[in-house]
Amino acid sequence: MTDLERLWEALSPSDPPTEELLRRARRQRAVRRRRRLLAPLAAATGLAVVAGAFVAGTVTGGSGSGSTHTDSTGGTGPSLAAFQADLPAATSCGQLRTAYVDRGLAQVTAWGWQRWFGVRAATEGTAVPLASDSPSTSRQVASDTGTNVQERGVDEPDTVKSDGSTLVRLRGQVLQVFDLTGTSVRRVGSMRIGQPLHDGELLLHDDTVTVLGTGRAGGDAIAGRTWVITVSIADPSTPTLTGQVGYDSTLLSARQHGGTVRLVLSAGLPDLAFVHPTRHRTQRQALRENRRAVRRSTIGDWLPTYDAGSGTSTLLDCRNVAIPTRRIGLDTVSVVGFDAGQPSSPQAIGIAGSVDIAYESATDLYLAATPTTWWADVAYPGGPGDPVGAMPTGSRTYLFDFALDGVTARHVASGSVPGRLADRWSMDSAEGTLRLAVEPLGALGGSTSILLLHRHGTRLEVTGRLNGLGRSQELTAVRWFDELAIVVTFRQVDPLYAVDLSDPDRPRLLGKLKIPGFSSYLHPLGPDRMIGVGQGGSGAQIALFDVSDLDHVRQLDVHHYPRGSSAVTDTDPRAFTWPPDGRHVLTVIRRHHVGYLSVMWVHGHRLHLRRLQPVAHGHRAIAQVRTIGLPDGRVVLVAGARVRFVDV
Amino acid sequence: MDTSAESAYAEFVTTRWASLVRAAVFLGAQPHEAEDLAQTACLRCYTGWEKVSGAADRDAYIYRILLNCLRDARRTRWWRGRVDRDVTSVSDALAGAIGDDTEDSIAVADAVHRALAALTKPNREVVVLRYFVQLTEAQTAEALGIAPGTVKSRLSRSLAMLAADHHLHDLTGRSS
Repeated sequence: MTDLERLWEALSPSDPPTEELLRRARRQRAVRRRRRLLAPLAAATGLAVVAGAFVAGTVTGGSGSGSTHTDSTGGTGPSLAAFQADLPAATSCGQLRTAYVDRGLAQVTAWGWQRWFGVRAATEGTAVPLASDSPSTSRQVASDTGTNVQERGVDEPDTVKSDGSTLVRLRGQVLQVFDLTGTSVRRVGSMRIGQPLHDGELLLHDDTVTVLGTGRAGGDAIAGRTWVITVSIADPSTPTLTGQVGYDSTLLSARQHGGTVRLVLSAGLPDLAFVHPTRHRTQRQALRENRRAVRRSTIGDWLPTYDAGSGTSTLLDCRNVAIPTRRIGLDTVSVVGFDAGQPSSPQAIGIAGSVDIAYESATDLYLAATPTTWWADVAYPGGPGDPVGAMPTGSRTYLFDFALDGVTARHVASGSVPGRLADRWSMDSAEGTLRLAVEPLGALGGSTSILLLHRHGTRLEVTGRLNGLGRSQELTAVRWFDELAIVVTFRQVDPLYAVDLSDPDRPRLLGKLKIPGFSSYLHPLGPDRMIGVGQGGSGAQIALFDVSDLDHVRQLDVHHYPRGSSAVTDTDPRAFTWPPDGRHVLTVIRRHHVGYLSVMWVHGHRLHLRRLQPVAHGHRAIAQVRTIGLPDGRVVLVAGARVRFVDV
Repeated sequence: MDTSAESAYAEFVTTRWASLVRAAVFLGAQPHEAEDLAQTACLRCYTGWEKVSGAADRDAYIYRILLNCLRDARRTRWWRGRVDRDVTSVSDALAGAIGDDTEDSIAVADAVHRALAALTKPNREVVVLRYFVQLTEAQTAEALGIAPGTVKSRLSRSLAMLAADHHLHDLTGRSS
C-alpha cells in the first residue's frame, strides 16, 4: 500500500477556491430565491458591473497622466519625515517594542493570538483571498503588458505578460519566453523557477521579468514567504536568474510603475511559542503563560525580515515604523519599493497596524483599514505570516495616503470615513480627488454613499458626498470613470446608479438604470457602446448596449450561450479582452468542465459570434486562459500548454 | 445562511479540499475533473449545510455528495468521450509528481487507476474512503449507505487483493 500512499500524497491539488465557492454558492442561492419571487416578470433586472477602457479620445487625463517618476536611486533610506500627523514614527526600537507588547497583551488569549474566521483579510493577488459579494469592479484599461488593470499607468501582476514582440508566461514552476514577431508563435526559451511557488505571477519591464509568489513548503522553503525572483530576458533564448529575494510576510498587493515595483506586505503576528489549556493547565494559567511570552518578546520577533541571498536582514528600521494612534488591528505592514532591476535593495517603511486594502494610483498609495465585518470576509491560514491579527475596530474605515516618488513612499495624509469599503475597487483617485464607494456597516438599513475626499494639509477631508444609493441593499459593484461612477446595488432588484463626478464638490445622481439580463461585467467600448457579459436564461450571455444617453440605455443585441454555461469574467476581469483593433471582443465562457474562447464581432447594432472553441479543461486551466491583443491587430491565445495566434 | 454557519462552511471546505480532490482521483476521475467534481460537491453541500449538524456527519455527507457527483458525471457523454492517455510507470509518475505540471499529475492519476483497477467499484469506494481519506467506519458506512460490518469485510478483502497484486510492498499491521 505504500506505493499508493505515496501516490496519494503526490497528488497536490491547488489551493481550495474558498472565495470562489462562497461567491458561487451565494449567487446560486440568490438566483434560486429571485426566480421564485420574480417568476411572473419576463426578465430579471441586471446585477450589472461596468468596466472599461474608453477609446483614447474620450479619456480625459485622470490620474494616469503626468506621472512624473524620478527613479530615485535611494540613499540611506527614507527620511525621518516619512510619516505625519496621526502616524507618528517610533523614536526607538524600545518604544516600538513597548507599543507592540502593550497591544499584544490586550489581544492574547489562552490559546495564543485569537484567531477567528470572521477576521478581515488581505484583498489582493497572491495573498489570502477575501470573499466578497462584489464581482471585480474597475476602470478597466489594458496595461502596456496586456493585462486588464485598475489604473492606467499602474501595472498589476498576471501569469502572462507581453510587450508586443515577446511574451513571457509562468506556467507552474516554469517561466517560458515566446517570440511573437514571426508568422507563428515560437517558444524561444524557458527557465525553471528555483523556489516552489503558489500562485506565481509576473511583472514585466523592458527585459526584466519579476516573478512574485508565495512560497510552498518543500525543500528549504518556508511556506507563507513571499518570493521576488528577477529574471533577465535580454537574451530571450536564455532567461537568466538575476535576483532572488524572500520576504517573511504575506503579499497584500504588488504594482509596477515604469521600472519601480512596489509591494505592500503584511507580516502577521509572531509565533511566540504559545501554550493552550490542557488537562494539566487551566485556562487562566495558559493565559498567564501566553502573556508572559508576549512580554518576553523581542523587537526582532515583531519586525519582518527579508533575505536577498546573503542572509536574513531586518526589512524595517525601527524609526521607519509608524505607531498608529487610531485603533486599527495589530500587524506590521511594510510598504516596499525597489527598482525592477535591483530587487536586493528595497526601500521600506512600515506601520505597526493592520490594513487590508491597498489601492495604488500613479502618484499615491492609499492604505485602508476597514472595520471587521463578520459575514463577508473569510481568511484561511497560510504560513507563519498569515494576517489574522485584526481586531474589531469600530465603525470607521481609516485611510492613509502615501505620496510616491520612485521607490520611496511618504505618508502625507490620513482620514477616516464612517462605514466600510468592500475592496480596492471601491477606491479611485483622479485629478487629486479620492473617490470612495462606502457601504454602511450593518447588513440592513443605511445606504451606500459616494464620497469625494481632498487632501488639506495632512488630513483627507470629505468635500462632497452623495447618499441614498440603494437603501437596505448590498453594494455589488462600482465602476469609476473620470467623470462618472456607476454603482450597482442588489437586494431583489438590481438598480444601477449613474453618478456624475464632474463637479469635484458635488457628486450628482444622474439616473437609475435597469439593464436587462444579469450582466456581471460591463465593458464600455466608447462613449456610445457598451458590452455586458453575464447570465441570462439558463446560460451565459453577452449583450451590446447603446449608452449614448445614460438616462435611457438600450439593449441593441444579445447572444445567449448554451445552457449551463457561465462567464469567467464573473470572477476575473482578466478573462476579457478588447484588442486594439476595436472590433472584436474576446472572453472565456465556462461550461461544465470546459473553457471556451468566444470571439464576438461587433458591427453596427449587432453582435456576431465568430467562434466558440474549447481551449481548456478543468477549473485551474480555465482560470488561466488569457488572450492578448497586439498593437498590429493579431491576438495571442495562452491556454494550457499552448501559446498561439488566433484568427479573429 | 448566517455568518457563523458560513464561516464554519468555509473552514470545512478549506480543510477538506485536498482530500476531496485526491479521493475523486482515486475513485476514477482525471485530475482536472477531480477539482471540478470537488467544487460541485462543495457547492451542493452548501445548500444542505444547515440540515447536517456535527462534524462527523458532515464528512460523511460531503463524501456521499462527491460519490453522487462522480456517478452523475459518469453518465454524461463527455465522460464517455474522454481520450485515454498513455500509461506510465509508477516510479515515473512519482518522480514528476511534485509541481503544477498537468502532465505529471495525469501520470499519477493513471498509475492510481491501474493500481486500483483490479478492485470492484464497491471495494474501491470502501478502500478510498476508509483507508486513504481516513473516515471512521461509521462515517464510511453512512457515506456509502451500507452497514459498518460490510465496510470492515470489504476493506479487509480489498487490502488482501492489493497486497497480492504487488501494490503493497510493505503491508505492516495497520489497524483499520
